[in-house]
Amino acid sequence: MLRYFAIRLGRAMITIALVVTFAFIVLRMSGDPAQIIMGPEAPPEVIAAFRKAWGLDDPIWLQYFHYFGAILQGELGRSMRDGRSAIELVTERIPVTLALTLPALAIKIGLGIPAGIYAALHRGSLADRVVMLLSVAGFTIPSFVLGLTLVLIFAVKLGWLPSGGQDSWRHAILPVITLGIGGAAVLARFTRSAMLEVLGQPFIRTASAKGVPWRDVIVGHALPNAAIPTVTIVGFMIGTLIAGAVVVESVFSWPGVGRLLVVAVANRDLAVVQCILLLVAATMVTSNLIVDFLYGFLDPRLRQNAGKAS
Amino acid sequence: MTTFTRRRTLQFGMAAIGASAIPTFAIGQSDTRPSITIAVQKISNSNVLDVLREQSNVGERVFFTSIWEGLISRDWLGNLSPRPGLATEWRRTDEQTVELKLRQGVKFHNGDEMTAEDVVFSFSRERMFANSEAKNRSTIAAFERIPQPRPGKELPAEVPAAARRAWPDLLRVEAVDKYTVRFYNATPDVTLEGRLARYGSDIMSRKGWEEAASYLDWARKPITTGPYKVVEFRPDNSLTLEAHEEYWGGRPPLRRIRFVEVPEVPSRIAGLLSGQYQFACDIPPDQISDIEKNAAFEVQGGTILNHRLTVFDKNHAQLQNPLVRRALTHSIDRQAIVDSLWAGRTKVPAGLQWDYYGDMFHADWTVPEFNPTLARDLLKQAGYKGDPIPYRLLNNYYTNQNATAQILVEMWRSVGLNVQINTVENWTQIMARGDARGIRDWSNSAPFSDPVSSIVAQHGPQGQQQQIGEWTNAEMNTLSEFLETSTDRAKRKAAFRRMLEICEREDPAYTVLHQNATFTAKPKALRWKASPAFAMDFRPGNYV
Repeated sequence: MLRYFAIRLGRAMITIALVVTFAFIVLRMSGDPAQIIMGPEAPPEVIAAFRKAWGLDDPIWLQYFHYFGAILQGELGRSMRDGRSAIELVTERIPVTLALTLPALAIKIGLGIPAGIYAALHRGSLADRVVMLLSVAGFTIPSFVLGLTLVLIFAVKLGWLPSGGQDSWRHAILPVITLGIGGAAVLARFTRSAMLEVLGQPFIRTASAKGVPWRDVIVGHALPNAAIPTVTIVGFMIGTLIAGAVVVESVFSWPGVGRLLVVAVANRDLAVVQCILLLVAATMVTSNLIVDFLYGFLDPRLRQNAGKAS
Repeated sequence: MTTFTRRRTLQFGMAAIGASAIPTFAIGQSDTRPSITIAVQKISNSNVLDVLREQSNVGERVFFTSIWEGLISRDWLGNLSPRPGLATEWRRTDEQTVELKLRQGVKFHNGDEMTAEDVVFSFSRERMFANSEAKNRSTIAAFERIPQPRPGKELPAEVPAAARRAWPDLLRVEAVDKYTVRFYNATPDVTLEGRLARYGSDIMSRKGWEEAASYLDWARKPITTGPYKVVEFRPDNSLTLEAHEEYWGGRPPLRRIRFVEVPEVPSRIAGLLSGQYQFACDIPPDQISDIEKNAAFEVQGGTILNHRLTVFDKNHAQLQNPLVRRALTHSIDRQAIVDSLWAGRTKVPAGLQWDYYGDMFHADWTVPEFNPTLARDLLKQAGYKGDPIPYRLLNNYYTNQNATAQILVEMWRSVGLNVQINTVENWTQIMARGDARGIRDWSNSAPFSDPVSSIVAQHGPQGQQQQIGEWTNAEMNTLSEFLETSTDRAKRKAAFRRMLEICEREDPAYTVLHQNATFTAKPKALRWKASPAFAMDFRPGNYV
């Protein structure tokens, strides 16, 4: 078991190292932060001063060496835009983004999973078709279209809610709904198909045949077995909590990590991009580990197999 | 002993509530000025409010006229010509020296009076130049002791570079008395007054700088003299300003101004229509008619001090012959671009110059005429065989950039020029040297009212085009030097004319397409007038 997790942890570290290297190559090879941050009309001597100050005139391999060496020492660098610590910049945006993504996750789970279960249990009924129609619509409509439509209805036409910004809880309602609907739709579809697959298994027939009440069959046998694929998707959604709202944050002018990432990439602000990527990679890896644990908890067969393997 | 009955307690309670309401009411009565919210695409690219660090158009919008002010101001609602600002009068003591009388009674945001000491500090090494030197400084003066900045107060490297660009030969500024200052230049320079009016030559409180813990702390909340002071700056999010009640120009008409960053155009328009924002800036021209369909709203604004150019690399095999570049300039129907993409709300200017140049403006100069027959003839003379000419393009960095590029390529194709668009991602890729660099887009501003600020700064020997090896011309370089140092106005004007002939006709470095413009949407009921600039003027008199 220990070896199982050690291998996973090792893979996670390699993944993060590759992500960081990839970020460096892509960002440094595709643009000079000095020219981009200072703008196209900046005088040559201003650009030169900026390059010198940030070490951008060093050979590229030396820049990579410094960059990677600093990360290994836990130094994530400073933003080239205003000289502030990158980690400080990113961490102050995390609660702002979580204020959207956590309620949205609650909507995704609270709406998507019950809707999927209900649709599966009433397969072929009008309710099933309605849930599936809404689900298809929910995850096929791009979030910027859905967001702007909601703004048009609730801000421009009805005047009930603000169209953007981050001044109060009312400003969060439309972006949370926009984020929540798409995820709920995905979860509803996955839950429904997982439930349908489980409901067709022999052990469900056996349980029914030996007289177990239908409710107990569903709660005791169907749901835990159908939970595996659903947990995988929820795990992925947890992984996107930090930087999964890039488009919605832009549409609703919400100053979270997503917008910071867009600005940092556009400006080739390497330290900030790197910091966000490390955070996203770490969140993804952590959520994958949690999902791995949950698999073992939900399905005793996986625990036994892991035990045998070790 | 006082006894508290229920009635008495109630009376006391009501009286207390009433008393507590009085001051609130009084404050409300005393300040009925409105507060407004302005949606912009970006507040500051560099995340600071320092005029020498943030040198972008978006910065100009929030800085002027609300926060920063210079000794010589501009006619912000007119033609941007010089006006008395923090100085009431100025005179030349010789060709290298300007003396200015400061306006008395000007208060900084911290309540202190502005004096000559603050002006001297605003142009000091500590604030502006660090250890950079004037270009033509004598060696004796170079023995001056250069003060070391305090820890945390080191200037970002680009600040002294930008300051020297603005003031290449400024030796020192001296306080003659409490309200008189003198600017000493190393060389004769007729543009000193223009440089005093330019973006970046603005005055700050010395005490404000000294009390800030670090450069960043100061640059997020500079203490200046403008009609509004910074309350809070949340980078990439919002900037809140509050009326500076002791403003020398009268009581500011707004209680608060809040700039909020709304990166998406539809979101800015939706916020305006829903009443959340009173102004929506950076409106693309194709949205103007849609907004104005609603009778309650209008779109204001127009041309700014910035021209859109198409720039040539004369080292490219197909562009070495100036006849080919001339053909490129003669095959563009610029008015068609203005009419179709800008709804006619900008104009084709008289080459790379602006009306506010005053005496130096050549009113009879024009961009190359649209003449496809002449263009074909020039190509024939050049022996152009239809070989491809690369055109590096950014995805709509400039308004209408993609559409303009496609129109240009078709116009060029119609006279036999084979120009091929290569879309790239950023300015580094645009400027990268090599065979794939032929044509690119650019824009040029004129920070002060003299051609030195534009044609020399951008296309002269120290300008970007020559520095990145796109173009050079020996005569142009000699004339640039002359324009920077001569004080003979008639000869300077003639030299400028010759520069226009070289850069726009004989050996084209670029061709001007149209003047750039910016558009701001607002409710018609708000009585406010836009400046012919990015700057938004909310001083007394311009918001009723």
